Amino acid sequence: MPSAATATAPALSVRNLTTTFSTPAGRVAAVDSVSFDVMPGEVLGLVGESGSGKSVTLRSIMRLVHAPGEVTGSAHWQGRDLLTLNERDLRKVRGGEIAMIFQEPMTALNPVLPVGLQIEENLHAHTTLDRAGRDRRARELMDLVGIPEAGRRLHDYPHQFSGGMRQRAMIAISLASNPRLLLADEPTTALDVTIQDQILKLILELKRELGMSVVFVTHDLGVVAATCDRLAVMYAGRIVETGPVSTVFAEPRHAYTRGLLGSVPQSGAERTMLLSIEGTPPSLAAIPPGCAFNPRCSFATDICRTERPALLEIAPTHLVACHHHDRVAAAGSPVAEVAAP
Amino acid sequence: MTLTAAVTPARVRRARLFRLPVTLIAGGIILLISLFLGIFPWLVAPYDPTAFDYNALLGPPSPAHLLGADSFGRDVLSRVIYAYGLDLQIAVFATVPAFIVGSLVGALVGYAGNVVEAVFGRIVDAIITFPFLVLVIAIVAVLGPGLNNMYVAVFILDWVFYARLVSAEVRVQKRLDYADAGRVMGYRPMRIILRHLLPNSISPAIVYLMTDMALAILLGSSLGYLGLGAQPPAAEWGVQIADGKNFMNTAWWIGVFPGIAIVVTGLGFSLLGDGLAELLRTKK
Repeated sequence: MPSAATATAPALSVRNLTTTFSTPAGRVAAVDSVSFDVMPGEVLGLVGESGSGKSVTLRSIMRLVHAPGEVTGSAHWQGRDLLTLNERDLRKVRGGEIAMIFQEPMTALNPVLPVGLQIEENLHAHTTLDRAGRDRRARELMDLVGIPEAGRRLHDYPHQFSGGMRQRAMIAISLASNPRLLLADEPTTALDVTIQDQILKLILELKRELGMSVVFVTHDLGVVAATCDRLAVMYAGRIVETGPVSTVFAEPRHAYTRGLLGSVPQSGAERTMLLSIEGTPPSLAAIPPGCAFNPRCSFATDICRTERPALLEIAPTHLVACHHHDRVAAAGSPVAEVAAP
Repeated sequence: MTLTAAVTPARVRRARLFRLPVTLIAGGIILLISLFLGIFPWLVAPYDPTAFDYNALLGPPSPAHLLGADSFGRDVLSRVIYAYGLDLQIAVFATVPAFIVGSLVGALVGYAGNVVEAVFGRIVDAIITFPFLVLVIAIVAVLGPGLNNMYVAVFILDWVFYARLVSAEVRVQKRLDYADAGRVMGYRPMRIILRHLLPNSISPAIVYLMTDMALAILLGSSLGYLGLGAQPPAAEWGVQIADGKNFMNTAWWIGVFPGIAIVVTGLGFSLLGDGLAELLRTKK
């Protein structure tokens, strides 16, 4: 396993994060007692289907959950709890120490301001650079994220950029003030495959260059295999399995993880049927008792329908919430070869 | 993008000009001419607007007085032209302060949401249940007749309409990713409101401003007609129409030509408003 995830203190430590929304059907938990750590310099993948709570987890950490939503638990960043931080300190952390990029780069950029101005604005808020210094840094950033003709394109508006260039611009804006942690909310989902690959490589390069930690929210296990050191699999608002990417890919111990891995097309020697997970994720208002995954699980027994499994450490750094993780492990990994990062 | 990149900038600019909505160009031309007449009336008007010609009392259109003369023998054409300055001033002064204040308030209200928005909604309801003109007349009657008081009266009521438009738009915009992106980059709420949300929410208010300017000219003329706005002997279309009312059967030209000026100028603002709306829509 990669060495990043050992010994030293975590950069971000999330404990019992719970985000509830009141709906006509009562209070529902989009995120339910989620705990995880992100080590300095580590890339953590947060994986799950749509609606599993991955994005809400990120938004909760950054205090972006709006009115009817309520967040409890803690998210410690360098000794301070982001969830209780006052507005002034929070503003310094946001953008200055932790940056976030969004799934849809078109809507995440202000359509009426030139991209250069939006980079400068972040520099203005978080650095002491003067006008000339900010201008120089904006050019550097455009170069850094691989936007050609930086000087000219600074004056362009977001709609004059292609999808991939827009995401690069968004990354340039987010990274303007050298954050220590990047929260990436499905940054490549809206892009086509070749551009996806470029953006992923870019984020990894920048991570190395700037020494950031990255939390990568995605539903794409291919992306996880290519980029992440560790992954946490979410289902119905809870983390069901977490561990180093190589370990989890080689020996998934939760039936859901196994199902996800089986649903990824592979360019192997044999042609096999693509596995799919039967059924759909439960509505948050009607999460089944016991293990939330039990109605879709081929390993499920009576205990799964009554008792919710706890997230337990079954090997160092490998945690899983499944009553039958031994049987799941024995069934083997659907992934023949692990594409190590 | 890649297609236009090969085209020269000058050609792009020309192509853009041709893509402007016809309504925008037509409205723009009408208003540019109006503005010219408003700023340099003496270059065009044949007479002083208050000069009496006792030989031409109630005189019909003739070579000497192209649009005739009024009951004091004043040249109607000259008075219509000199009135451009005053009526355009009414169009701007009666609306722009309301536009600015209303948009700012609307942005704050829309961003604050919840209680603030509910309270604001009740204020809006209270104001719009009364007929606008009746309220303006009531306020002017209390403050005293005259243009300045008319501006105050219109401002007291009119800002609400801008605030309502902008707050509705901000309420939508603040949920979009770029607003969250701003928050996540640690910008202050005021910065997000003024620099990010307001510019993205202002276009309906700008379009309404154009319509409102046309309405303001009509309102100014109505109040002028009622004797609550511009005071005689000032050349103002409403005042002129009020003058002409008494001579409708014998000297129709006194009231009809200022009326046409009101219609044409109002049309100019409306066309410009429509054109702007179209332009802003296509840009989005």
